[in-house]
Parts: sequence; structure tokens; C-alpha cells
Amino acid sequence: MVTIDLNDLEIREANERIREAAAQGESIEVLNPDARHHIGVGVIHPVDIHVRGSAGYFLAGLTDTPRFHVESNVGWGVADNMYQGSVVVGGNAGAIAGVAIRGADLVIKGNMGSRAGQVMKKGTLLCCGNANFMAGYMMYGGRMIILGESGERLGEDMSGGEIFLGGNLTSLGSDAEVTDIDSAEVDEIREFLDRYEIPFKGSFQKVVNAGKKLRYSTSERQMRSIPYFNFSGDSDYWNRKIQEDVYIKSQIGRYRVRGYGGARELPHLSDIAFRKDISMAAIGDDPVGDVEMRTKIGGKNGANPLDLTMPVLIAPMSYGALSRSAKQAIAIASGMAGIAENTGEGGMSDAQRDAAGQLIFQMLGGRLGWNIHDMNRADGLEIYISQGAKPGFGGQLMAKKVTKELADIRGIPAGIDLRSPSRHPDILGADDLVIKIEELREATGYRLPVSVKLGAGRIHDDIKIAVKDGFDFVELDGMQGSTGAGGAEVMEYVGIPTLAAICEAETALASIGRRDDLEIVLMGGIRDGIEAVKGLCLGADAIALGTAAIIAGGCIACMQCHVGQCVTGIATQDPEHEKRYKSKVEAQHIYTFLESVRWQIAAITKALGHSNVTGLSRDDLVALTPEAAEITGLPYEPERRNADVFQEAG
Amino acid sequence: MCGIAGILLKRDGVTVDTGRALIDMLDGCQHRGPDSTGFALYGDQHKGQLKLRFYIGTDNEAGNAIERLKAVFAEHGAEVVEDERIGGAYRVVVRFDGDLQKFSYAVEHAAKTMSIGESLEIVKDIGSAHDVDDVYDVHVFKGTHGLGHVRLATESDVEPEASHPFWATGFSDVAIVHNGQITNYWKMRRRLERRGFEFATDNDSELLAVYLADKMSQGIELKEALKTSIDDMDGTFSFLVSTKDEIGYAKDRLAAKPMIMFENDDLIAIASEEVSLNRLFPGQALDTREPPPGSYNTWSRSI
Repeated sequence: MVTIDLNDLEIREANERIREAAAQGESIEVLNPDARHHIGVGVIHPVDIHVRGSAGYFLAGLTDTPRFHVESNVGWGVADNMYQGSVVVGGNAGAIAGVAIRGADLVIKGNMGSRAGQVMKKGTLLCCGNANFMAGYMMYGGRMIILGESGERLGEDMSGGEIFLGGNLTSLGSDAEVTDIDSAEVDEIREFLDRYEIPFKGSFQKVVNAGKKLRYSTSERQMRSIPYFNFSGDSDYWNRKIQEDVYIKSQIGRYRVRGYGGARELPHLSDIAFRKDISMAAIGDDPVGDVEMRTKIGGKNGANPLDLTMPVLIAPMSYGALSRSAKQAIAIASGMAGIAENTGEGGMSDAQRDAAGQLIFQMLGGRLGWNIHDMNRADGLEIYISQGAKPGFGGQLMAKKVTKELADIRGIPAGIDLRSPSRHPDILGADDLVIKIEELREATGYRLPVSVKLGAGRIHDDIKIAVKDGFDFVELDGMQGSTGAGGAEVMEYVGIPTLAAICEAETALASIGRRDDLEIVLMGGIRDGIEAVKGLCLGADAIALGTAAIIAGGCIACMQCHVGQCVTGIATQDPEHEKRYKSKVEAQHIYTFLESVRWQIAAITKALGHSNVTGLSRDDLVALTPEAAEITGLPYEPERRNADVFQEAG
Repeated sequence: MCGIAGILLKRDGVTVDTGRALIDMLDGCQHRGPDSTGFALYGDQHKGQLKLRFYIGTDNEAGNAIERLKAVFAEHGAEVVEDERIGGAYRVVVRFDGDLQKFSYAVEHAAKTMSIGESLEIVKDIGSAHDVDDVYDVHVFKGTHGLGHVRLATESDVEPEASHPFWATGFSDVAIVHNGQITNYWKMRRRLERRGFEFATDNDSELLAVYLADKMSQGIELKEALKTSIDDMDGTFSFLVSTKDEIGYAKDRLAAKPMIMFENDDLIAIASEEVSLNRLFPGQALDTREPPPGSYNTWSRSI
């Protein structure tokens, strides 16, 4: 038995010792815990860990196989995301007990706080006392047993799993219902109670999903979307596009869903130009060799930074929205180009991990595919708060794409219209966010950069929170960013254009004197190396490409990503469609495109008179339109509109 | 976005220094708010005397602020008993028996008022609990009860006057600390402004304080005022309120913001996180309670 006394050790060192002892197969006891946070996070060995007192937030979070025994209480998020193993809590548990567990046994002898078992997927959560508000909220699977009272709104918006209630049912949540219980299920519960020596002889009621909200009740008639730009600019008020939208809404009674990016004209990087004449950019045989482009991102707080051959990343896109083959092609290309790939929502595959040189692992509110083992093999961790295409909304994955295989990885029921949570169970403010970031760092030994994906909305405030909460970098996503599926009006009208987002972010950070403490990766409709350089000039430390990479890899821009029958095999989970996609061939195309971006960045940087991309600045830019001048504060020089760099820098 | 703490000693003879206890509790949850820290402290009171605290800063303007304040005191018949400058604060004790609300608004126009009360004194500034204690000697304070707050500024700037606790502008001895966000802030504020109340800041926590103080001035018990606040306020909130002789809490119906409490025969302590409560009783596992969503309660001293 290894003894860790938290009177003597800081939690960071204590956790390192706990993980070392666990790796040796030693049992561990923790003295004087005094409700400190993050005790035992990241343990992946089957050892007994005794906590002599009360623990704080995220006890046993992000673990697999250990057995925790806590004498008294635990704070929020006990057993967060725990795979196998067990936690027995002698006292009460705070809110979101058993959040996102995926196989563990969690036994709480006392009462538990609100939203217990939120987005849990598998395993058993037993509460011997009373549950509280919205137990089983958005539960995807697994079993919850409550011996006392249910609290209000039991099973709110659960989509899978079962809740067995021994005490009084206060009220049911939305889309939950009481159903019959069979004797085999009761026997299994008794067996579980016996195993943990819980005496309870009463009977149970069973609560499950009522199945009323799992799918959109009416499906949208399949037709090719008419893109906005087909009518924008004409005075045709009730045009064909508007008529089609009204017609379809008259059939389905709700907003339309579509994929791809916004089609509306917005102020963009194309509305600014370089101050110098760069028409000579192509002169000289080797701009790439003449300009230093190597960029490190994420090392400001001591983590191992991403080490990129140019200031470019792949934007987060999920396996789910995209096929495994498409994700693999992007990963291969990113590895060849020496830049970083990003998992997006929905987990990491071996193929993607192996192909990508550097891979950021993204965590979303549903914790779909999120786990300690893939965290450990990632090169960066990212907390998704929102995205540019639909800031404030969760992801959508239509039933056609939620195949058995995909559902297994995510830990959700197959065949539902998946509407991912728009917010995290344990991040309800900047204060909770601090504790969450720390949990990720503790669990992975502070090795990995932790970034935040921020859709451009309330940038001026949010970016200040990002730096104060200690993120290593921000992936700032403007309104022109694309998505696999989103409400059509939201994609066109909600958000802040990419150009404005970077300017607001710069101003906000400068206003609190913290610009140097946070790196910014700018994304959202960046189409080529020219726009990349403009983003860098405006202050971004790097830029990320999403849609451009997909198009390079064969996308035909039909805007039907959400349907699941992508003819190119990119945005589909149907094997018949996916087999058309040749990952290795498309990887080469994506790579070749990335190299064109590299050449453009180098050539323009050189033409602007710099030998390093870090030399780029606002002084290299002018604005071509009044709007862009207003947004950026750059000098307004409309006479340069005719000297379009697109024609001259090619 | 922040962490909150409160403590009330239920009877005389309990050997806990409330200043020290609040420093320890806030140090325990400083991670929730590194920008600024504040305390609402309730100490001795002397009949007919008011304690006033202002934030005047340390630059040349500070002297002007004191001049302006002294003019207001003279105009409203407030006789200065003692005054001193501590850090960026100006503390004054006056003899005053006039219309407190009018007097409060007048001094508020002269300088940034942190608190006015017979018993209440609010101490707040930029920095950690220990930073603030270093300047203002909070640890020597031995009162009956008090509140504390650590703040991470989100929408508003990092400034001493935007820190918590908030005093209910215009009402003696009412203070509040709040974790969360009131989303119908402007609607509620306009409702109170139409009735003649003034607000010193745009902070939603000040609104809560004035809302509760207004109810109490109409003869409504604090507990009842807390109950109606849960109906009247939209958003996510956990807050603590204190008056001359009681403390209370309210928590929104969505249970989005944490709060946990410990009570024994001597005291009641409430905080955002148990780690703060455990600072008062190191090495012990406490029998704590998490208040349910939509709940409220008050505690007063048994004398």
C-alpha cells in the first residue's frame, strides 16, 4: 500500500505518484483529501484506491479499471468518463455524478446532486439515497438505479438506457416514460446490490425513453438545395430559393437542415489587399526555401507544442459527418504536409491516428468517443465550445449516418437523429471551465496543449475568458465555416464573419494586455494561401483549412452533407457510397493542395519583404471596401480593387 | 463567474475569527476567480453611527474625492467621527440620522461607494484573498458573520468597484455575493428605476441586492424575499445575502451553479465548493448538504 498525504503534496505531484503506483499494481491510500479536486484522474490500472475523507470535483475522472473507495463525500462529476472499474462513495455526491461513464460501476451510499448520469453511455450508477433534478439527463445508455426519490424530471431527454427507481417518482422528464419491468432485470439489480452489500428489499419502477423525440417526425423531401448566391444580388424578392424554402417548410413544419458552409456574401479576407505590389511574388525559384514557416503552437504554458512545417492546421471535422475513408485521407495528407489534423466530434480511429503526424483530440458536450486512452495518444486536447457555422448549437447527425459501427464508437443508440448537446455537462461558466481544463491536464500529466474551439459570437468577452482560464491556444472559427448539418437560417445569419472575428479577438486581448499569452488559429472559410497570409497579417498565429481540404479531396459542393448519401463517399457512412472514395488517391490531392498553400504563403511573405511568417503584420494590408475598413481599422484604398491579387499572385 | 463563501456564527463565544475564516474559504476556491476578491464583514455597531467605505484609489484624484465627500457629509448633516485611508479605500464613521437613501445617492455621486451600514463594511480590491488581506488586514476582523467572493471578470472590466460583494445601494447593511448571471437584468432594473432607485454599476449582483433590500424595506422577511427572487430572476444563479443579523441563500431552478453547506451548533458555512468548507476543518470529512434547485433559506443569530 502506497500512502499519499495531500497535506504534504500538491495534487499534481500526488496524481503522478498515484499513477506510478497504479502502474506497479500497488494499492493506494490518500490521506487528508479535504475535498480537493481531481484526485486520481487518469489512472488506467486495476488497483484499489482508498480516499480517507471527502474528495472534490472529478474524483476518478478519465480513468479505466481502477477501484476507488471514498469514505465520505465527492464533488461534481465523480467518475467522469470512467470506462471500466468502480467508485464507491460513502457519503453524498455533488452534481453530474457519473457523467459520461462508459462501463464503470458507481455506487453512492448517500444522496446525489442534479443531472446525475448526464450523457452516460454504459455501466451502472447506483444511488442509495435520493436523486435530484434531471437525473439521467440526455442519458444515451447504461443503467441507473435510485433507491430513494427520483427528484424532478427524471430521465429528461434520455435517448437510451434504463432507470430503475425504488422510491417515489417526483416527476418524469421530457420524452421519458414508465414501462414494465421483467423479473430478469430485477434479478440483475439484486445481484448488483448484493455485490456492493446494499440491503434493499423494495420493488422498482422502470423508466425508459418514450421515443417521441429521437427522430425528426417528418423528413425533408430530398432535393438539391438552391444556394443563396443564385439569387443574392438580384432584386427578385420572392425568388425561387425563397419559394422552395417556404414550400418545404409547409411540408415538414420546421426549419430546413443542410450541410456545407454559408453561401451569403459577407465581408471577408477578400475585401482586404496587400499594401505592396506582390505581382513579383512568383519571381525567384524557391520562395519556400527562402521563408521560415515553421510554427509551434500550444507551448506557452509548458506543454509540448504542436510543431508545424507551416502555420496551417486542418480544421476539426468529425468521423461521423465525414466517412472513415475521408478522415483517413485528410490525416494522411496532413502527415505528409507536416501539419496537424483534428478529430472533431465522435472519437479517434486507429487509421486516423496512424496516418496523422500530429493529431488534436476534440471533446464535445456529448463526450462522444472521448476517452483516456485516446487522450494519451493525442498530440493536443481541445474543448469545443462552439463553431462558426452555427455558434451556440450542437452538432446534428441524421439517422442515416448513425450506423451501428458509428454508434458503438460514440456509445449511443444506432439510428437516431443525433442532436449533440449544445453545452457541456460540467462547463456552465468560466469558473467551471477552469476546473475542467485542469482535469484534462492532470489526467495527461500536463504534456499536451489544451485548446478551445470558439465559434465567433461574443468574441470580445469569450476570448478574454479563454486566456484567463489558461488555454494554450484558441481555434477561432468565423461565420463562413462549414458544417456537416445545421439549420439553414442559422448557417446564413448567425455568427460573426471570420474577418471581424480575428479583429475583435486581437482588440480584446490587447485591451487586457494579454495578447502574448494566447495563440490564435483562425478558421472559417479560408480558401487558399492568399487568404491564409491575410489572416496571419491580421494577427493569427496560424490558420486552419476545412472545406478547402475536403474540396481538394473530391467534394463536389452539392450541400447535401447531412443526407448521408454523398456520392463522392466523403460525407456518408454508407459502405456502398464510401467504397467509391479512394483514400490514398485523394490524400495525394489534398497534400498537393496544401503544398500550393505553402507556396503561396511563402511567395507572398517574401514579396512583402519578410523572411519569416512571423514578420507579417497589419502594416502589410489595406482595405478595399468601406465595410472591411470599418471592421479592420485598415486604411481604405478602394483604388486597389482592380489590382486583384488573385490574378497577379498566381 | 466566481466563487462565493459565507459564514455566520450562531451564538456568542464561538472561537472562530470570521475574517480569517473567509480568507481561508476563498483561498480554497481562488481558482474560480483570480481577478479580484472581496469581503462583506459585520462587526460592532454604535447607535447613531454609520460606517462608510469608498474606493478612491491611490492617485491624485483620491484627495479630490475626499473633499467632495466631506462637502456632501456637511450638506447632509453627517458629522465625521473618524476617517482613514487604507490602500485604495477611504473609511469613514459618521453620526447621521437623516434620510439614508438620499444621503447614499448623494455620496455615491461624489465617490465610488462600497458600503454603508451600522455594522457592514465591504472590503474589496484586485488580487487574491491574500493580496487583499495584505493591504486591508481582513484577518484581524472578528465579527459575527460575513460573506466573501472571488471573481473572474467576464463581461465587465477588472476594477475594484466591479468586484463583489455588492452593497444594496441606498439600503443600510445589505450585501450580496453571487455566482451566475441574471438574464432579465435590464427588465428588472428598469422596474426598480421607475420607482426611483439608483444603481451604481451595471452589475447584475447589485440588482439582486437592491431587489432584496427593497422587499425588506417594505416589511417583507428576507426569507420571503429570497423566495420571490427565484420567481422574478431569470438565469443561472447561486447567491448569498447578508443583513445586520442574518444570512441567506437562493439557488436557481436549473441547479447550474454549485453551492454546498455545512452546519453545526456553532456555525453555518456556505460555499461554492466543499474544498472551501474543508478549509475550516482540515483533515475532517464533513457532513455537508447541497441545497436543491430552486431552494432558499436564512439563518440568524440566536441571541
